[in-house]
Amino acid sequence: MTAVFSVRGLTKQFAGKRVVDGLDFDVRAGEIVALVGENGAGKSTTKNMLCGLLEPSAGQVLVDGVAVQRIQPQAHGVAAVHQELSLFPSLSVTENLCIQALPGHAARIDWAAAERTACEQLEFLGIEIDPFAIVESLGAGQQQIVEIAKALLSADRLLILDEPTTSLTAPEREKLFEIMQRLKARGVAMIFISHFMDEIYRVSDSFVCLRDGHQVGTGSLAGVARGELEHLMVGRSIDETHRELAAPTDDEAIRLDSLDSDDFAQVSLRVARGEILGIAGLMGAGRTELAEAIFGLRPCRGTVSVGGEPVVPLNVATMMSRGVCYLPEDRRTHGLFLNRPVRENLSAAGILRFVRRWLPGFGFRGERVEALRIVERLAISVPHVESRVADLSGGNQQKVLLGRWLATEPRACLLDEPTKGVDIGAKFDIHTRIVELARAGTAVIVVSSDLPELLGIAHRIAVMRKGRIVGEFARADFDSVNIISLATGAAP
Amino acid sequence: MSRNPLARRIGRQKWLAVAAATVALGTLLSFISPVFLTFSNLESILIQASVTAIMAVGMTFIILTAGIDISVGAILFFTSALFAKLMLETGSFALAFAASMLCATVLGAINGLLVVRFRLSPLITTLATYSIYRGMAIHLTEAQNIPVSRDVGFLGNGELAGIPVPILLMTVVFLAGLYALSRTRLGVYARAIGSSTRSARESSLPVDRVTVAVYAIGGFVTGIAALVLLARVGGLQSGIGIGIEFTVIAAVVLGGTRLTGGSGTLVGSVLGAVFLVLIDNGLNLLNASPYLYDIVRGGVLLAAVIVDRLSAHRQSGQLLRQKAGRLRMQDSVSGRDDTSALTGN
Repeated sequence: MTAVFSVRGLTKQFAGKRVVDGLDFDVRAGEIVALVGENGAGKSTTKNMLCGLLEPSAGQVLVDGVAVQRIQPQAHGVAAVHQELSLFPSLSVTENLCIQALPGHAARIDWAAAERTACEQLEFLGIEIDPFAIVESLGAGQQQIVEIAKALLSADRLLILDEPTTSLTAPEREKLFEIMQRLKARGVAMIFISHFMDEIYRVSDSFVCLRDGHQVGTGSLAGVARGELEHLMVGRSIDETHRELAAPTDDEAIRLDSLDSDDFAQVSLRVARGEILGIAGLMGAGRTELAEAIFGLRPCRGTVSVGGEPVVPLNVATMMSRGVCYLPEDRRTHGLFLNRPVRENLSAAGILRFVRRWLPGFGFRGERVEALRIVERLAISVPHVESRVADLSGGNQQKVLLGRWLATEPRACLLDEPTKGVDIGAKFDIHTRIVELARAGTAVIVVSSDLPELLGIAHRIAVMRKGRIVGEFARADFDSVNIISLATGAAP
Repeated sequence: MSRNPLARRIGRQKWLAVAAATVALGTLLSFISPVFLTFSNLESILIQASVTAIMAVGMTFIILTAGIDISVGAILFFTSALFAKLMLETGSFALAFAASMLCATVLGAINGLLVVRFRLSPLITTLATYSIYRGMAIHLTEAQNIPVSRDVGFLGNGELAGIPVPILLMTVVFLAGLYALSRTRLGVYARAIGSSTRSARESSLPVDRVTVAVYAIGGFVTGIAALVLLARVGGLQSGIGIGIEFTVIAAVVLGGTRLTGGSGTLVGSVLGAVFLVLIDNGLNLLNASPYLYDIVRGGVLLAAVIVDRLSAHRQSGQLLRQKAGRLRMQDSVSGRDDTSALTGN
């Protein structure tokens, strides 16, 4: 098969900096190409050039062998599904699908024709969605499919999917893959961007790997082992399986005595200084609720003791004064001040340390120096400490949040999904930081859905199911099959 | 729910609440007073509601785009003033009519242009133009009361084929609005913009033009309402239109239109206007003190939004529980999927 889209020497500069430099690859009809790379490797810029949002600084894209300066999405048949959906939540599926080309006259829309188009499109994708349903009443997976259907209505030669699976449940993801296969059979070329290696291997035929804006590899996926591809992406070996953990002490740092609430029951746990306790379980098992309750964010019965003394009253202020910190799962809305600079985000938890004694209210003394120190220590890649946190990648945002609390030298640390949506390089860095934190004597509780993560860094794993702790494993007895069957309630 | 596509498209349920409330209040009033269920009383209720209802049709378009127009009362006042003044000086109904309708539309469009051109918040923009338009009108009339001639009174008190003109105008505006909202691009785009402005821009919809258009429509229908009101009052008074923006916005909100845009119906807005008149009517029948009216109106609006918020809470709670249920089902039915999600990566 000949290439439908050929990328030749594609380059993009921003302010003299080459963000994408000299890409060369082909996309054939019915081929799924995985575009992989860490955050900041240039995937988004490449995507935006391919769907016509950006004009390349140099190089070109050949469409059917004809060189094109800038892609015209509709004329060249390119459609992109971005991470943020461009749907109208309060409109119906039909209205959403047809809004860009409503049939009939402007003053007399032919709704019957619109409904036919919508039904045909949904049928083509092989899905049953009520064309009259209001989009906001659909689940995330169905909304994603409506978005794809909408994109394909305007263009159907190359479909770019940017991390389409992040908000989907397992069955929804299967449905999406099924649709991708169906499109593939119809000869639609696809570019698939994802952080999940198993997904990449499952659906893609070939890959293009970017690192720091350069193309470091391309070809068929069949001949490339997973470790090799990860190595290509990060540029260094990543080995999570053989991490050295320091032995925990015997000092008790934090103890939970029969915590009880609507979301969990009879939770008793003890974490020593220097120990990392992982909490595993399925979505909805009550893990996040437990973490929030321990930090005093949600009401519960029972006692939480820090350093041997019960915390009364159990609220955020007392927990913080006892040296406990909490990193929420949803860092963008619950953790960070997105529109504020990195400096302020780093100093927020311990801002009182920087207040000028004689001139309170006139800026903060030493705040900037401290921020620079943390940025360097955690290897946070930011243009400047005054950059807005919203402009950073997920991994760097998480590092900022981690840095904020590390600066307070916590006695105990609660981490909820610390590496969610973070690429593998940054994930490795965050794991290293957590292990170091424990080595320095902090008690760490990590809630995670990513079992390999817990297997890699935890001394002990507690498994939660439906609000109860159903088992505990010491590091020597870690066994993923046992942990999973406990978490799902399947027979051991 | 019906399979009929048209019924499903219109049937966005929320207006049913205000419809039920209107019927309930009507039933209550018919027990309290034997006069209530007479033809003439019902007709007079509709006539009283007509000015608010006509304006509420335009306001619904504006609020559907997630905008708001506080200045409608001032547009109403300015249009009435211009009309009365022109009638007084030229005596030509046609000229005065054309000029004031044009003027009302332009004043509305100016609001839209300001919002679009400078990306201003509609609330503060129209609060400012409210003051400006009202000031312009007072300047124009030198704060005088101007009577209008008897033949203009036709618009307020006349009948056509046995139907009072205000009711007729209200029906025409309502039907035209209904058509525009469901069968024209303008209507669909207006709802789309309110639903998600970002998506509307990404889908390259004419966001700016539609926004200006809805404010112009708001101005235009306010012009119609102005003439009806002027004819009913019999002349220009300085108090015309004060506080009417409250009644209009209240009618739209009571009718179930979302203030954040994207969702709402014209039926609801018109019923909201009728409901508010019913409250006045009821207080009147009860011989309540006139000072009580505003308190009751405000209280009803507050109660309506609180009830709406509570039911939304309950609904989202229900959705969450359903979702949790689905997840649990997945656990038991296809535990393997979830285990692969756990081990994966």
